[in-house]
Amino acid sequence: MDAYIMQGMHGLVYGMLLFLVTSGLTLVFGMMGVLNIAHAAFYMVGAYFAYTLVAWTGNFWICLILVPIGVGLIGAFVERVLLRKVHAFGHAPELMLTFGIFYILAEVVKWTWGTYPLNVQPPDVLAGSIPFAGATYPIYRLFILLISAIVLFILAFIMQKTRIGITVRAAVFDNEMVDILGTNVQAVFLGVFCIGSALAGLAGVVAAPFLTTYPGMGLEILIDAFVVIVIGGFGSVWGALLAALMIGELQSFGIMFIPQLALVFQFLLMAVVLVLRPQGLFGETA
Amino acid sequence: MTKHSFRNTIFGLIVLILLIILPLVLSEVQLNIAIEIAFFSLFAVSYNLLLGYGGLLSFGHAAYFGTGAYFTVFACQFIAGMPLPLAILIGGLGGGVMAAIVGFFCVRLSGTYFALLTLAFNQLIYSIALKWRSLTGGDDGIGFDKPNIHLPLVGNVDLFVTSNVYYVTLMVVIISIGLLWFVLRTPYGNTIACIKDNEERAEFIGYNVFRSKLGLFAMAGFFAGIAGSLFVIFAEFVSLNAIGLPMSTEILFMTFIGGTGSLLGPVLGAGVYIYFTEWVSDITENWEFFLGLLFVILILYANKGLISLIPIRLKVFWNKKTPVGGER
Repeated sequence: MDAYIMQGMHGLVYGMLLFLVTSGLTLVFGMMGVLNIAHAAFYMVGAYFAYTLVAWTGNFWICLILVPIGVGLIGAFVERVLLRKVHAFGHAPELMLTFGIFYILAEVVKWTWGTYPLNVQPPDVLAGSIPFAGATYPIYRLFILLISAIVLFILAFIMQKTRIGITVRAAVFDNEMVDILGTNVQAVFLGVFCIGSALAGLAGVVAAPFLTTYPGMGLEILIDAFVVIVIGGFGSVWGALLAALMIGELQSFGIMFIPQLALVFQFLLMAVVLVLRPQGLFGETA
Repeated sequence: MTKHSFRNTIFGLIVLILLIILPLVLSEVQLNIAIEIAFFSLFAVSYNLLLGYGGLLSFGHAAYFGTGAYFTVFACQFIAGMPLPLAILIGGLGGGVMAAIVGFFCVRLSGTYFALLTLAFNQLIYSIALKWRSLTGGDDGIGFDKPNIHLPLVGNVDLFVTSNVYYVTLMVVIISIGLLWFVLRTPYGNTIACIKDNEERAEFIGYNVFRSKLGLFAMAGFFAGIAGSLFVIFAEFVSLNAIGLPMSTEILFMTFIGGTGSLLGPVLGAGVYIYFTEWVSDITENWEFFLGLLFVILILYANKGLISLIPIRLKVFWNKKTPVGGER
């Protein structure tokens, strides 16, 4: 029985981390219709920034603040300088552009930090394990749960209760109408893209001590994140949460029971969802 | 015969002669590069059926390339005395059937959804190839024991001679691209162009949009499979690299760099891509960075690809042949 609880916890932790990555991605997609492939690169850059900052300062906590700001600025640059230019050409060039940026950033990472996996040490407070459900559980994983939950609540609060959130939700629904009604949609796009990138950066920081920091980490999470937003529904934060948890548990128990097919399951699930309900579980319309 | 088509014929003949005498001029290494360019050209042209002619951005075209490569190997492995031309055809059919199955689910969708679903299926097929070790060899890949070709007049063609591989590849590629050129000139080609421009309208006029798109997808898969067969004849080895996501993105790069607006744009793209990577990887280890940079610059400033930068007078030869412009 304990083994199940443990495996369930692992799934929950990975699911929440996945949610952290996906929340920004799904917001950007919902608003701008751009599936930002570079998002995964932002996540990876976040993890590498954390590695360097920890190496310089020895302090993990400031990474949680500084890295998202840095990555958010990169995101703002990408949106303002590059993405806006191709917006008029349609979605396929936008998708290809973000893919090109992903490619470039991944190379920059290899160039700067090398191809070897790097280890980021969690701070001492989070390093050990604590007793949990009759066994011990690494504190750091619980910390991931905590951070993701905090982000979830802040995001939910902003989206549901504040004026900015109302604007964003309205723009997801129909950005032309919001534009006509006098809101500067361009500025909202920039803001959302910036915040989305910052969330990717934060996810990178959190993931750095948990998963290894290596140049393939972006592509790895990218594919999981795609599966999540397709299943959850483009643009839906709640859908992203549900789907991220589903994928987390599916991987966790899939590896436990049928390791051979663990990889295949999530793509099957995604294909089934796309065929039966193309807009995703929580999506509005396809 | 109009002036244009006369000039085109002359131009085509000159190119053909140049291609045929190429092995006499090139060194072994350069000839290998030429073979690579040849089968990647076909792969890119098949991809452009989707991207340029169908307006469908696929992130999973390597699945059919890889399927073709594996099927050719299986055909020669399991059936004794399999003639090579038939094995190439089997590779193509493998890719085509696989594409028809995947396309059945994908082509109903468009835009980002289509891109994601092709990606998912590519990963699915990749995972199966990875896990089915007894058949595909998994990570290790499998070697290909290629049979020789018996031609009625020439006799035995030894495929361990590089120039012979070159001629076989060249011939298959030219025949394939010729077939595609022909197909795109038929009413079916016009239907595809119509669907790309305005799908709803095409549906309304009475075209069966689903069937046409499925046909296009399967055709693209078929020729990708042929390209995969040629690849495996050249490399004598196939591994998961041929079927994985990086290959899918590589072909997107090639096609886009060359230009999606014409049939032969991707050929230029394949040539430039392969020479560019050879050249830059000699200079710096981080050649992929410059490749990405080139890609992004092209998207920003020349989104019809390099072929659109060729001056109009020259372009007559390249562009005017196909009535179905993949103009964006």
